[in-house]
Amino acid sequence: MIDNLLLGFQTALTPENLLWCFIGVLMGTIIGLMPGLGSTTGVAILIPLTLTLEPVTALIMLAGIYYGAQYGGTITSVLISTPGEAASVVTTLDGYQMARKGRAGAALAISAIGSFVAAIISLALLMALAPPLADLALNFGPVENLAIMILGLVIVVSFAGGSMARGLMMAAAGLLISTVGVATGFSDARFTFGNIDLLGGIPFVEVMIGIFAVGEVLYQIRIGAAEPIKARFRDMLITKDELKRSAGPIVRGSGIGFALGILPGAGSTLASFMSYGIEKKVSKNRRLFGKGAIEGVAAPESANNAAANANFVPTLALGIPGGGTTAVLLGAFTIYGLQPGPLLFETQPTLVWGLLVSFFIGNVLLLILNLPLAPVFAQMLRIPYGFLYPIILLTSFIGAYAVSNNMFSVVLVLIFGLLGYVMKELDMPVAPLVLGLVLGPLFEKALVQTSALGQGDFSIMLESPISVVILALALLMGVGPMLLGRLRVARRSRRSVTESEKVDV
Amino acid sequence: MASTTAKFAAIGAVTLLALTGCSSAAAGSTSGDQEGGFAPSGDARMIVPFSAGGGSDLSGRAIAAGLEEVTGVNISVENREGGSGAVGYSHFLAQEGKDNYLLAAETAMLALPLTQDVQFDYTSFTPIMKLGDDFTLLVVAPDSPYETCTDVVDAAEKERVVAAVSGATSLDEIVFTLVEDATGVSFDRVPFESGSEVLASLLGGKIDVASLNPGEVLGQLESGDLKALCSFSEERYEYDQLADIPTAKEQGVDVSFAQFRGFIAPGGITDEAREYWIDAAKEFEQSDAYAEYIESNVMQANAVYGDDFVTYLEGNNADLQKVLQ
Repeated sequence: MIDNLLLGFQTALTPENLLWCFIGVLMGTIIGLMPGLGSTTGVAILIPLTLTLEPVTALIMLAGIYYGAQYGGTITSVLISTPGEAASVVTTLDGYQMARKGRAGAALAISAIGSFVAAIISLALLMALAPPLADLALNFGPVENLAIMILGLVIVVSFAGGSMARGLMMAAAGLLISTVGVATGFSDARFTFGNIDLLGGIPFVEVMIGIFAVGEVLYQIRIGAAEPIKARFRDMLITKDELKRSAGPIVRGSGIGFALGILPGAGSTLASFMSYGIEKKVSKNRRLFGKGAIEGVAAPESANNAAANANFVPTLALGIPGGGTTAVLLGAFTIYGLQPGPLLFETQPTLVWGLLVSFFIGNVLLLILNLPLAPVFAQMLRIPYGFLYPIILLTSFIGAYAVSNNMFSVVLVLIFGLLGYVMKELDMPVAPLVLGLVLGPLFEKALVQTSALGQGDFSIMLESPISVVILALALLMGVGPMLLGRLRVARRSRRSVTESEKVDV
Repeated sequence: MASTTAKFAAIGAVTLLALTGCSSAAAGSTSGDQEGGFAPSGDARMIVPFSAGGGSDLSGRAIAAGLEEVTGVNISVENREGGSGAVGYSHFLAQEGKDNYLLAAETAMLALPLTQDVQFDYTSFTPIMKLGDDFTLLVVAPDSPYETCTDVVDAAEKERVVAAVSGATSLDEIVFTLVEDATGVSFDRVPFESGSEVLASLLGGKIDVASLNPGEVLGQLESGDLKALCSFSEERYEYDQLADIPTAKEQGVDVSFAQFRGFIAPGGITDEAREYWIDAAKEFEQSDAYAEYIESNVMQANAVYGDDFVTYLEGNNADLQKVLQ
């Protein structure tokens, strides 16, 4: 272990590798700032640039891009309510509200700190336990994934701001949108009306750019846009109290993110939503959620970064990608002539440990780069809206086109921009829609697979101990609060009855 | 200052052969003359109908780089994704007659017209080169009772054998259907979305058998986490790690089916243009870049060109039709 770490540091700490890591982090952050361009696209489009580098150096740079792009997406989530990828959608809920209140600097700082802590925790676990953890993750098949999806839906269904009915409605709308296209295991197209652009379904990146960026701009224009936010530099810094409030959410978020991240397929989006949902249930400040609670930024940001790092557990230990970006990275392994698989740790120790240590360095660089820059980025909000909004619209459409080189994406952004505007007018929560859209296909896939495994009989969900435990947890979380509430109401009414009786007597 | 520039130029000339190839593209018309009077009008484009970073993208970029080197024509790669490939192929259909467009093709070119309402089929295009074949291996867990593909077929006759497939029109689905047709048994399917998902479920013991590309399982075969029973190929693989795996035919299951990778030009281009790209492709086949591509993806290098490629597609299409319709 120590030898391996030393080897890793020797590999990663060469000036050349450090430089490329830094360039990767910087380029990633810039890419993440573009609406719609997340880490998966960022890594994919920059792979050709790395072909002339040594494999280790190239992978170190790509990992830097991965981390940078994630943080870049967070910046836009907080400042202009435009997430770079699905995993930072939740961050917009409280991050954007904090920005509106002049606390953008604090929101960005806590994201950087939370992400850093989460990364360190998960990297330590990754270094120490990757192979056994990966074996553990293999126990999660379709049946267990279905149970996790159910648990996830139960946890997040209630978090949609005030009204549960509105949240459910939006989640259902998202699920409905996700049914467009060809489903897992079938070759028939649904709801495509002969349009070939719809065969692959409605891509969530376009939906996200439309609903969040374009929708928000349209809404701000309609309400006559508030004054630019002028916060003093001193107010941009994070306070001690905010740091203290964030400690718990960061640790819990890291745990949830890591646990979900090591499972191939479950993913960081679910992790960020779940950690937010859980904080909303356990936090002392739960009333502030949705109105700019720093816990609501710290938890999901830690969770999605922990998941991003945990994704490397199955990727490096088994050669099975843990998420979209790691799948692209695995493709890059082949380009560099490396054979991903269980023997990678043994046959390529320099590469694996160099990479792991460089993940660590990448996260340190990200923190050094972004903590001081957080207040600077926040100054973006001082740009008068007359200039800021056209820029947002322009980059949104360019981003949408760049993802697929297809004008249809731009049309989709327009349509969903209008939809997002209407939703804001009607005060409909948008995050559940995105969750429905992202979870829909995953949920359906697990459902189809479980049904196939059980030959149509879903009782196989009760044969797997793991899925039984998860389902029990879901039941507890779903029904528990309701029962508790009933109990409380009953007790209170009994007390008031006895009190009124006393008065009568 | 000038000497540093010169040094850089020298290094560039030695190491970046591809780049020097590009710079000589200015003299493209002369090299074009040597190949029968035709040169593509301007820079060429390689359309990849799937997203950056996937298997199609990798092959598209390898072909583009290889052709760039032999022709001196600048070839830019463009990902036109969407609709499981349908968007890219349809876009390509609209480029009819343009001899500077190419597309990195694979099985979706045949599967899409058979399953979806699209305007094209393989006869709409001008097939240029099939690079090679990606067959599949039947793989099981190391403690599985099956030792040969015949064992699996015999078991499927008597009891439930759960096979994972990575899609309704995927290579493994086709292979299992062909085995069913050849032997009269049936497998129970569980659908997944990619080879790596299938791999994870096989390693986790959730399913009994899977049919995966060698490139997807080589790591697991070397580490002993999986064992390969047979390969659904015409001939055994020549790679050291795979040479001991018998073909299904040797074991009495007469099935072989490959996913092809290759490239096509739009329909309606002139014969000279077609010959130009075929000649360039033949030259590419002799290059190290080609060998490297085939080896890193653990494929079998059965390159065919032009009319032979069309004949191949006809047979492949007939097989697919049996499975999908």
